[in-house]
This record gives sequence, C-alpha cells and structure tokens, in this order.
Amino acid sequence: MSSEPTDRGTWRLVARRDFWVRIRERSFLISTLINIAVISILVLARASSVGGSGPSFDLGYVGSPSIATGASQLGHDAQPPIPIGVHAFADQTTANAALRNGSVDAVVVGTHLIGLTDIPDVLSSLVQASARNAAVTALLDRNDVPQTERDAANDPTPLVLAVLQPAPPHRSENAAVAFVGVLLLYGQLFGYGIWVASGVIEEKASRVVEMLLSAIRPKQLLLGKIVGIGTLGLAQLIVISSFAIGLAFATNAINVSSSAFGAAGLVIGWFILGFAFYATLFAAAGSLVTRMEELQNVIVPINLTILVSFFISIGALQDPNGRLQVIASILPTSSALAMPVRIVVGAAPAWQVAVSLVALVGSTVLLVPFAARLYSGAVLRTRGRVRIREAWRSAE
Amino acid sequence: MLELIDLRRRFDDVVALDGVSFEVPDGRIVGFVGRNGSGKTTTMRIALGVLHADAGRVMWQGRPVDAVTRRRFGYMPEERGLYPKMRVREQLVYLARLRGTPKGLARSRATELLEILQVVGDPNDRMETLSLGNQQRVQLAAALVHEPDVLVLDEPFSGLDPVGVDVLAEVLRGQARDRGVPVVFSSHQLELVERLCDEVVLIDRGRIVARGSIRELRAMRARNLWRIEVPAATDGWWEVVPGVSLAGRDDGAVVLELNGDADPQRILDLARAEGDVAAFGPVRPSLSELFREVVAE
Repeated sequence: MSSEPTDRGTWRLVARRDFWVRIRERSFLISTLINIAVISILVLARASSVGGSGPSFDLGYVGSPSIATGASQLGHDAQPPIPIGVHAFADQTTANAALRNGSVDAVVVGTHLIGLTDIPDVLSSLVQASARNAAVTALLDRNDVPQTERDAANDPTPLVLAVLQPAPPHRSENAAVAFVGVLLLYGQLFGYGIWVASGVIEEKASRVVEMLLSAIRPKQLLLGKIVGIGTLGLAQLIVISSFAIGLAFATNAINVSSSAFGAAGLVIGWFILGFAFYATLFAAAGSLVTRMEELQNVIVPINLTILVSFFISIGALQDPNGRLQVIASILPTSSALAMPVRIVVGAAPAWQVAVSLVALVGSTVLLVPFAARLYSGAVLRTRGRVRIREAWRSAE
Repeated sequence: MLELIDLRRRFDDVVALDGVSFEVPDGRIVGFVGRNGSGKTTTMRIALGVLHADAGRVMWQGRPVDAVTRRRFGYMPEERGLYPKMRVREQLVYLARLRGTPKGLARSRATELLEILQVVGDPNDRMETLSLGNQQRVQLAAALVHEPDVLVLDEPFSGLDPVGVDVLAEVLRGQARDRGVPVVFSSHQLELVERLCDEVVLIDRGRIVARGSIRELRAMRARNLWRIEVPAATDGWWEVVPGVSLAGRDDGAVVLELNGDADPQRILDLARAEGDVAAFGPVRPSLSELFREVVAE
C-alpha cells in the first residue's frame, strides 16, 4: 500500500534554496558586519556615558581658599560624588593662564567666579552654595551659635522624594534597549522585505519562474521564498542580538539582564510576525514588475508605511502612551515596530498587546491568499509592468 | 496518453485558443506546427498548468491532470531561463527535487544527462558562464532530469547547432521508444518535424486545422501531382487524357495534376510514345508546402 504522492512540503525545498543561496552572498556578509558595527557604536556610546564616573572639575582660587575647598567638600558629599580638584594661584594673571590652557575650569577670585567661555552649571552651583555657606558660617560665628545647633542646621533631614506619575524602573535603560531593538527590527523588516521582492523579480527576469510554476504551485513558491528569506533574517537577527547583549554586559552599558533578554525576545517574536505581514506585500509588489529598476516604483507605499511606523516607534520611546503611538501599536501596518517599543518601555497594557497580536496575525492570514493570487496572476507576465487589476483577473 | 480536450482561452479581446483538441499517444512523437501567435505556446502552458484555460480539460491516462500529476511532466518553456548564478548540476538537482525526485537519484540523473546532451564545461560551473548553446542543452536536461512521464517542449530545437539537433532528436526518440513517453514539441523547422514525428498537429488562429501522420496529411490535403520529363515531347501531349491538367513547369519537366480516375500509368504510356522518359514520379509535397496550403485556406 503506497499513499498517494503529494506535493505538500515542496515549499521547504524553495525555502532551503533561498536560504542557502543568500547566506553565501556577499551582501549578506556586508549587512551583518554593518549591523554589528552600528550596534557596537550604540552600545559603546551608552557604556561611556553610563560606565564613566560622571563629571569632574578643577577649580582654582586666588587669595582665600575657603570657598574653593568648601565647594570641593560639597562635591565630595554629593550623591553620586562630583570630584573637584582645588588649585591655588598667586595672582590673577597666572590663574587666567591656567584657565586658557584648560588646566582649571574656573577660578574663585574674591567675590567673582571666573571661567574662560562659560562655567559648568554643576560647578557654579556648588561654588555658589559654598559661598552661601561661608557667609552663613561667618554670621553664626558673629552670634556665637553653639556647634550642636550649627550641625543640626547644616545637616537637615533630607526631603523624601515622591512623584505623581512614577516612571517604570530602569526607564532610561529600557528606552536604550528599545531603541536598539526597534532600529534592528526596522533594518531587518525593511532589508529582508526588499530581498523577497527582488527574489521574486529575479525569477521573473531570468524567466526561470515558468519552469518553477510548471513544477510547483504559486502558493508554495511564495511561501517557500518568504520562509527561506525570513529564516535568514531571523538567524541574522539572533546573531546580532546575541552580540549586542554580550557587548552590552561586557562594557556595563546595561546591567539589568531581564530587560535586555526580554527585549531581544520581543524583537525576534515581532520580527517573525511583522516579516510575514510585510514580506507578503513585498512579494506581491515584486511580482508586478520585471526589472530591478522598476522595483522602487512598486514598493514606495510599503517603504513609506515601514518608515512612518519606524518614526512613530522612535517617538514612542519618549511618549509611549501618546494617542498616535497607541493607535500605531495596534494597527497591523505599524504594530510590528511600535508595539515592541511600548512593551519594552513598559507602557503597553496586556489587552492592547493582545489586540495588536490578533490584528497582525489575522490580517496576515487574510493577506496571504490575496497576495498569492496577485502573485500567480502577475508572475508569468514577463513583459513590462502589470496592473494590480490585470493580475487579479488573470489568475481566475 | 495525454489528451487536450476543447481548450479555450481569451486574452482580453483576443481569442488565443478556440477549442483546441488533440492527443499524444504513449510512445509517440507529435509535432505541433503553426505560425507565430497561432496558439502553440498558450496550449502548452495550459497543458503544464502554468496558465489556466477558460474552458476545456487536460487529461493524463484518462484522468484530469492536477498539480500532483503535473510533477511527472517534463517541460521546456518557450521563454528559456534558469537561475543565472546557480551551478549547473545544483540547478538540475533542485528542479528534479521540486518535482519529487529523491536527492541521490536527481544527482546521478543530472550528471548523466549533462553527458548525454554533451554539455561542455564543468557541472559546477555557474549557468551564466555557459555559451547560449550549452545553456539550451541544460534547459533540455531540466525538462528530462526527473524522468518525466510526458514531454511537452516548446521550440526545443531553436538555437541548437546541427549536432545538438541530432543529439536531441535521438534523446526524444529514445524517450518515446524505450520509456513509452508521449512527446509533443513545437517547431518551425518543418523538415525536422517531418523526419522525427509520428504525427503532426497543425494549428492556426487558435484552431487545429489538420492532424495525423505525414502520410495521412498528404492523402488528405495534397493534390495528386506527377512530374514527367520527356525532352523530345511536343507540348500539350497530355491533353488527350481526361482529368489531367498542367499544374506547372519545372526545369524542363512538366508537373501534371491528376483528377478523378486519371491513371498515372496511362500518362506514362503516352509519355513513352512521345520519346525517352528522363524522369517520372509523384510529387510529394513537403510538410512546409502542406502547411502553407492548409494555412492559406
């Protein structure tokens, strides 16, 4: 008893070919390297702003040292500490020379604080506070206030900090992770979508598509192409994310592992869903033209959609609950980029995530037969551009 | 047997196929002949399911053809094309596997075919580095690599040199004779069709205008012409036989058309009475002449 032969699963052969052909292409290697370079720059930039010990200053004085040393003490007591080096100068001329060659940031001369072109705000506040303290101490001295009272006045119980709308913990770190994530997601969705479209055109232009369609159904060819190229995009995404997370931990750019791993998982999950959605559109668009030069004309609407979604998602880093951002994170045309950002920043309620998922998956399911019909109607028309209506009608 | 039954197809306002029916019996080679734009490619595309028909059916061994049975068809499209950057053998193996051939078998078949079809170059060369003639041969290999049960070839001989033509003709004969494969191919090289095919199907403006063996076509279509050369004869000597008229003159000979019961032997006797007969014989119209005659109607 032999079972009826079937052609189910032929798409796997197509997927495998598209995967292996492209992984060997130079452009794949180059895009991987560029991605890794961009990610490294972003991670290292954050590492230097976070990991560094913060600002430090050099303060000079001419005459009495009390204000300068007082400022240095205040800096030392601050949380986190702000180191201030104190340097004595014999007169204004030598102090000015030190300002000009940059060895000090400012100089206290009598009742003046002198800088070169400007004075850092942090430094000037500390010096001003120190000057006020000196005046108060002088006043207290004149009135013989006992030391115990002075200490009580100088060291009041710190105010308890409170906010009306507390930001989620690690807000800035999460935003940084989300930014890198959305950047990656945008690059992958866009780049691999175009690869699908150009793969379709390549088969049309070389005429091999007629051989293929005499062997397998258009739907299988379409599915295989999307899965093959999508898998490559996914593999690259996993490599790049792992690299980014590794580098971020190694350089202390981030220190909360859950946010990084969670974000990587979200980016990968939304890549799969978003890619299925956009790639279907890209494939249908690609089937309408025959030459690579014409590709730009047909994918403009898809490009714009992805680009606008990207900018809205960047906006969501700052304002994750803005009306535009919320709508964009639910509409399937933009949710693949906007929703993961809102989740990572910690602003998306569960019901919105659920609605967004259902909308994205549902619209992809509806889109596939539509795109497959356009594709099979257009893909054999190898002369010039095919109109959508023509393609639709010519595929029974 | 491959059967095409009453295929119809329009492209907007143009009727491409207007009820095309013919069959390709097992082990037979059928030539598909017609002018450019007469519907050959459309017919073949429909047979392969690449294009759908507005009406009509394609049957294989008495059952309607579907996507699964079509995998056992071998096809060479009019618009040639394979992946330019893919290696030759890898490409053949891929196409065979798409049609359900196991990997190992596909590989050995591909290697074997590249040899039989005398493709010059390494099986690991990229397609685009091959000469056009060699690419054409690889395209043929692609039609054959999965050991198809049916062969449908659109202009397989165009672009081949005489050696390539002979090699391909031998391959097609072998497929029909040894494996009983029904073979149908289109061609404008009518001497070749005449030499190679068991049957010919003539299509014109989307309709089949004649079909049958060359002999049957001749019997059906051709005029009964005889060429006679009698150098010493006086002109008009044939006029005494009823039903005989002059159809033309050819290099010192006359070509006579015989109608009704006119007997060629009677003509020969008359000719001998006129003098020495240098040549006497029936004029067999070539396929091209038959074709022109049929299409002109």
